[in-house]
Parts: sequence; C-alpha cells; structure tokens
Amino acid sequence: MLVWLAVLLLGATGCSVPISSWTGLTVSEGQVYASDVQQVQVLNATDGEVIWAFPADPKEENLGEFYATPAVNETYVIAASRMPPGGFLSQRQNIVWGLDAKTGQELWRFDEARDQYIEGGAINEDIVVIGNSDGNVYALEIATGKLLWKLETGHRVWATPLIVDDTVYVGSMDRHMYALDLSDGTVLWELETTGAFASAPVLHEGILFIGAFDNRLYAIDAAEGTERWHFQGENWFWGSPALYGTTLYAADTAGNVYALEAATGDRIWHVALEVPVRGGLAVSDDGTLLFVSSENGSLYALETSDGFERWKSEGEGQLFSSPVVSGTMVLEIRINSAEHIRALEVDDGRPAWVFPVEEE
Amino acid sequence: MYFLAYPFANLLLLLYTLLGQNTVVAIIALTVLINLILLPMNLSQQRSTRKMQELQPEFEKLKKKYAKDPERLNQEQFKLYQKVGVNPLSGCLLLLIQFPIWFGLYRAIVYCVPSTPIQLFEFSQNIYQWLPGVVGLVPLQSTFLGMDLGQPPNLVQWWSYALPVLVFVTSIIQQRIISPPPASDDQSQTATMNRQMQIMMPLMTVFFTLQYAIGLSVYFIISNLIRIIQYSLVRTKRQDKAEAKS
Repeated sequence: MLVWLAVLLLGATGCSVPISSWTGLTVSEGQVYASDVQQVQVLNATDGEVIWAFPADPKEENLGEFYATPAVNETYVIAASRMPPGGFLSQRQNIVWGLDAKTGQELWRFDEARDQYIEGGAINEDIVVIGNSDGNVYALEIATGKLLWKLETGHRVWATPLIVDDTVYVGSMDRHMYALDLSDGTVLWELETTGAFASAPVLHEGILFIGAFDNRLYAIDAAEGTERWHFQGENWFWGSPALYGTTLYAADTAGNVYALEAATGDRIWHVALEVPVRGGLAVSDDGTLLFVSSENGSLYALETSDGFERWKSEGEGQLFSSPVVSGTMVLEIRINSAEHIRALEVDDGRPAWVFPVEEE
Repeated sequence: MYFLAYPFANLLLLLYTLLGQNTVVAIIALTVLINLILLPMNLSQQRSTRKMQELQPEFEKLKKKYAKDPERLNQEQFKLYQKVGVNPLSGCLLLLIQFPIWFGLYRAIVYCVPSTPIQLFEFSQNIYQWLPGVVGLVPLQSTFLGMDLGQPPNLVQWWSYALPVLVFVTSIIQQRIISPPPASDDQSQTATMNRQMQIMMPLMTVFFTLQYAIGLSVYFIISNLIRIIQYSLVRTKRQDKAEAKS
C-alpha cells in the first residue's frame, strides 16, 4: 500500500521527465540554426523552409535532447545534446556534435563531459569552446572534435563563452569571470564577484558587459579583469545585455528593463514589464526598437529612446531564449508550444512565418 | 505538493549563510529543524506503536474468539483501540505529513543546487530577498566528497551509491527500533504486515534516493540517525522507569 501511495504521490507531483532547459537559435548568412529538442533545425530565414535537420528522423535515430544554441561558421555547425541512458544503470551521455554546415552530416562527436551542456559554445575558424555543467570549459579542435584543453572551474559552467582574437571570456557559476588564452586555456585573469554568471558577455571598446545572479550588471575591463562599474537591479541578470551606440540595454529576471550609459552605468530609463524575463535582449538594425522575450510567452518591442511599448506579440508556451534580429524580422523560439519558431516583422510584430507549419 | 519548497529553499539559504557557507552543514541543520518540528508527532507515533505491540496478545485472543464473526471482531478491536487510546491510522498520518516535507525538501535542494536551468529560473522569482545575505548565494556550492549534491547517484561518481546504502541501513535500523520484528513463528496477518513494513519502508526510501538529488540522501540519513537516537533514548528511559518500579 505504501509503495502505491508513493507512486501515486510521485505521479501527482509531476516526477515524469519535464523539459529541463530551453532551446535557442542563431541566424547566419540568411539561415536560422535552432536547437529544437529532438533535432537541430536549419531553416531559410526568409520563409522558414527546412534546409536540413539533424538527425533527419529522430524517431529512427534518437540522439537525445538538443537545447544548447548551435554555434555556426561557414563550414561547421556545433550542437550539443544529452543522450538518453542506454540501459539499466547506464548513464546519459553528453555530446558535442560537429556537423557539416551545408549538409548536416555528422563529422565528429565529443562525449567526454560528465554533465549537461546548457548554453551553446563559441567558435572561430579553428576552435570550439563550450562550458559544461560538470564545471569544465572544453576547447575542441573544430575539424576533428579532439580535446585541446580544458579548464576546471569551481562550479557549473552554463554560460556561452565569448572568443575575441586569442582570448576566451567565460563566466562560471563559481562567481568568477575568466579570461583564458585560446591556445592553451591558461588563465590570463579572473575576477571574483558576489554572483554566479550564466550568460555570455558583450564586448564593446575594451569593456565586457555581463549580468550576474547577485542582481548586478558588471562592466569589466577586458584587458585587466578589473571592475569598471556595476549597476544594481532588482533581481538576477541572466540573459546577455544588448548594446547599441553608447547605450546598454539589460533586463533582470523580475522583468525590469534598463537603458544605461555604457561608459558609466548611469540609468537612462527603466520600464517594469512585470513578467519574468530570462532571455537576453536584441536591438533592431536601425537601433529604434528593443526586443524582450518573457517567460509568459510575450515578445515585447520597446522604443529604445524611452522604453515605450511599440507592440507586443503573444503566443502559447514560454519564451526563455533571446530573440534574434535578422534584417526586417525578429525571430523567437518557444518551448511548450506547437509553434516552435516564429519570425515576426520588426515594425509591427506581424508573423512572417512559423515553424513547424501547421498541417491542414 | 511543493508548497513547502520555497520556504525550505529560503531557509536553506539562510542556514548556508549562517553556518559557514557549507551546503551539507546547511542541509543537516535544516533536517534537524524539520525533525524538531516533527518531534511531538514522532513521539506520539512511537507511543502508539508501543501500545499496539503491547496489545498484540489481546488481538490474538480476540481473533481466536471471533474467528467466525469478522464484524464482531472489528467491533471488539475498535473497542480495544478506544480503551487504550490508540489510533491505528496514526502511522499512515505521519507518513502523509512526511511526504510533502520530503518533496518540499527535495525541491529546495534542487532549487539551491540546481542541475537544470528551468528549476533555477523558477526559484529566482521566489527568493526572499529581504533575508540577510541571501542575494547572490544561489547556486550553493554543490560538491561534497567529490559528489554533486544536485545530481542523483551515478556511475561516474560511483561512490555516490554509498549514500543510498547508508539510507537503507539506517532505515532498517530505525524500523527495527520502532517496531521490533515479530517472532518468526508468528504467522498472523499483523505479523506478516509488520515484516513487510520492515523492508518496504527502507526500500521505498532507497527508491527515492536513487532517483533524486544526493542532497536528499543526506536528509534521509540524518533524519534516520536522529530518530534512532530519539527512540533509543525514550526506550532506555522507559526501561529505567520500569526497573525502578519493579
């Protein structure tokens, strides 16, 4: 009876495997690259037509759950998945996939990490750098997937690194921001703060801008690793900030959107959306609109001049990932929704296309 | 079911701050606090179990006497319960109260030492920022003896399976102290149920610990140890009293 009671309670409390993370997308050369849980989807950015998907048929070939945003260059697409356990007492495998950017064919796989990849990796022509929940930052040869070096931090690494020339900048949950030598992973500097880092930094004129879980948005000297200023929000800064001109835009998880002077951190304006915000922000190409995705499934377009809401697009499910601007469209990726990806007109939020297309 | 999760998670953060920023120490402190809250109920259950054991010979007599009249047997048993002031469902009641606590604590550990981002995001909206020193604390330090407290036991950290084993052993000891196993020749229904309980409860607890974060195992082990000590003390006190009387 007790066992049945336990089973009943387990069922009642939702102990089935839920969606554990969020999917993400990036746009490059007119193509959308998205992690779509069961597959990596590559779509035409103008009409949402599928170019290729990996694996081609997830029912035939279950390669696990793809959540981390793919990293893309002309030759390679780098994705990551969490494979299901193969049998009793076997463990889930966490894999980085090297795919051919044109065909989606598997070129290599890297399976040495012990835990889940949350955000995607960063790449240049030769190297992939990606953080893992096992606390390591892994650097792989992009052509072969061979491990070049790894750096162990004091906690999980969920943040996407940033590669600039020969340096990798990456934040860890151990409350440190690291600058690493791209060639061998040597720590060039590390800055200890009072909050965990889980997003990619933004670099502008030698300053890194990054939010943390101590409700602060930091400006850090990229060469020295010293704090220039910090701005205090009302909750965590999880998504990456966006920069346009000399203005920095950021949102905390309580839904407060801030426009700050990038040089000083002085506040220009503040809007309280009063909805939880996880994703980073995006600015339209002409710099007039700021896009904010919210956990309740709404995408907000705010005037960059004063935060006035120009339009809002609602939808089912949740928007945890950062929106991405591609010319006259802004793209969003949802979880817990039949519409996974939507492309909206920047000016008025009208849908241009939706993926997957609803069957008649 | 998770209504206790946010208060527990925030309490865990506070204890983490107050107790030298050690996650295991904070979980132990929270376990002690929870057990203190459950202490009156545990003692009551212990008294109830003891009385039930003392009543066994009476029950057996009644069973023989009313073997052909189950309705009458139930009535007489009920009268006997009333006479000595025992609620036969008190054990289940305690279990029902403990389940939300287990789930709440499990969720609290998952929030504070998260392994997936959605759980963490949920918690970011529910941190009591007015508590001193909690801003910036999450995620708590997740490593203990090379194990990840936010993950279930796994083969990569093979020694993490020692915790479910410890949970099983302490659960068995606890069960045996609460209700000693009936004599092996006792084939009555109560004795059979009692024997099943002796193994089922520890097995169920182990099932939980294999599925959920290692931090929850720490809670089970400490809880079991506290109850073993508590029951042993009460039993010794009772024996001393009995000896003094005789």
